[in-house]
Amino acid sequence: MARKILLEKAHVEGIRTYEVYRREGGYRSVEKALKMAQADVVEEVKKSGLRGRGGAGFPTGLKWSFIAKPEGVPRHLVVNADESEPGTFKDRYLMEFIPHILIEGMIVSSYALGSNVSYIYIRGEYAWIVNILEQAITEARQNGFLGKNILGTGFDCEIYVHRGAGAYICGEETALIESLEGKRGNPRIKPPFPAVKGVWGRPTVVNNVETIAAVVPIINDGGDEYAKIGVGKSTGTKLMSACGNINKPGVYEIDMTISVEDFIYGDAYCGGIANGKKLKACIPGGSSVPILPANLLLTTAKGEKRLMNYESLSDGGFATGTMMGSGGFIVLDEDQCIVKHTYTLARFYRHESCGQCSPCREGTGWMEKILLNIENGKGKLSDIDLLWDIQGKIEGNTICPLGDAAAWPVAAAIRHFRDEFEWHVKNPVECLTSNYGLAHYADEIHVPVAV
Amino acid sequence: MRFTDEKLIEVEAIINRYPDGKHKSALLPILHLAQEEFGGWLDVPVMDYVAHILKIEPIEVYEVASFYSMYNLKPVGKYMFEVCQTGPCMINGSDDIIAYIKEKLNINVGETTADGMFTLKTVECLGACGYAPLMQLGKHYKEHLTKEKVDTIIEACRAKAN
Repeated sequence: MARKILLEKAHVEGIRTYEVYRREGGYRSVEKALKMAQADVVEEVKKSGLRGRGGAGFPTGLKWSFIAKPEGVPRHLVVNADESEPGTFKDRYLMEFIPHILIEGMIVSSYALGSNVSYIYIRGEYAWIVNILEQAITEARQNGFLGKNILGTGFDCEIYVHRGAGAYICGEETALIESLEGKRGNPRIKPPFPAVKGVWGRPTVVNNVETIAAVVPIINDGGDEYAKIGVGKSTGTKLMSACGNINKPGVYEIDMTISVEDFIYGDAYCGGIANGKKLKACIPGGSSVPILPANLLLTTAKGEKRLMNYESLSDGGFATGTMMGSGGFIVLDEDQCIVKHTYTLARFYRHESCGQCSPCREGTGWMEKILLNIENGKGKLSDIDLLWDIQGKIEGNTICPLGDAAAWPVAAAIRHFRDEFEWHVKNPVECLTSNYGLAHYADEIHVPVAV
Repeated sequence: MRFTDEKLIEVEAIINRYPDGKHKSALLPILHLAQEEFGGWLDVPVMDYVAHILKIEPIEVYEVASFYSMYNLKPVGKYMFEVCQTGPCMINGSDDIIAYIKEKLNINVGETTADGMFTLKTVECLGACGYAPLMQLGKHYKEHLTKEKVDTIIEACRAKAN
């Protein structure tokens, strides 16, 4: 169902200003948290079951508990607002329309982690949002929620916005840290993890925008209350950014009990496939997660309705499932060519590879070239096996997850749409003007009966 | 070459966001500022000036400027159309928009019009997939592009420049 916690007030007139945000109940979580012990704030976040909303889904409270506390060494919270995963535009929405919720969440989180100077690393292209955030920070400081001795508790905190300059890789936390230090965004080898040695060698926690915003309702209502929303290990709400061939692209806050079918066809969400077309395929969690054909998307291989949560989306592993990822929901209709779409993603990853690890640096370029050949009717059947071979040699063989992120979309496209690739190769002229269409990708899946 | 006194105060404020001795962290924001102030791109003397301000080696600036896609290492037009072409934009018609701009301005991707007014660049995911097709123009996005909207944008740029 639609359950709004983060975006509940996003459309209240003037909510971007401190005055209205405060009137609507803003900054209560700071007043509450700063009276609690730091460890108790961390404990509430642990109890909430909140998982990182940037893509990896790692439990936030656990991540916080890893932060090292060496005597006399400052610690830092860094918010990852380098939103660059194709299909994902939820953090932009949150920062643009209700910026104070991020600042509020950051103050509470900074307190819990013992960070007196925290940063927002925002992608350079979101230039106008920098102004919105800086305005919110100024207002928060004017009203005593930032600066020295906040609310008379003795806690000092400053927040600065650090603008990136165009590099997807800086969404990876160690690349982000390098970039924050004024260097190229080359990911670091882990360990040491940022919680021990992060920015300037100091203990650092890097969290996604949505994750930090979720700390506000967790503190206001308690971790246990937050954990009641959702199902299983998918607690709370999730922001989904939906795009592609749907009637109502946009950002939706969901509790993770709704079905994928309801999300795509429901009037409260995507509103169905645009122009009366049929659903062919979908990448539900940002470009890195496996693409699924319509049939496997709506129903798991066991024949159950697939739900919009971490567990259900990954049901069946990579053989028949996918991932929640960052919640970038890309819908493809029957007129879309899987080869061409996969090519654009391969080009994206080639462009964004930092070039440190040869499997990724070379492999992403090879995949792009081979896919372009197939798309242009110049491919060979052996190219499909070659693509499979290359992606397998990138996966798991790089310093950071960009290698996997580049390999998975290609692997999944071949796994589920191999006959469309073969059709391209066998019909080199026809593929330039027409496409494979819906084919059998929405047919009912045959689920074997247990014997 | 020098920042104005007003800009130098801004530079100082940026450096002060980071701990003592960690002033190199200010490199990315100061390069943005330098690019805005000194003609829309980063010529070698500009980068050397930034290195001087931050008391770092010029190579430390060059290697950063060449890594990030938003820093221009050669001159660009007064207005740069940066059109997104990644998957979600592609399925919403970005190819047609790019072709239309090429035709309309009579330039290829990566080129600048003879009058120095417009540069066309294709970019990868701008993080606004629900508002596709779109382009970045300066510090803002122009979303839900159509051919008519492209016409209006071009006219508005020309009017502003004159």
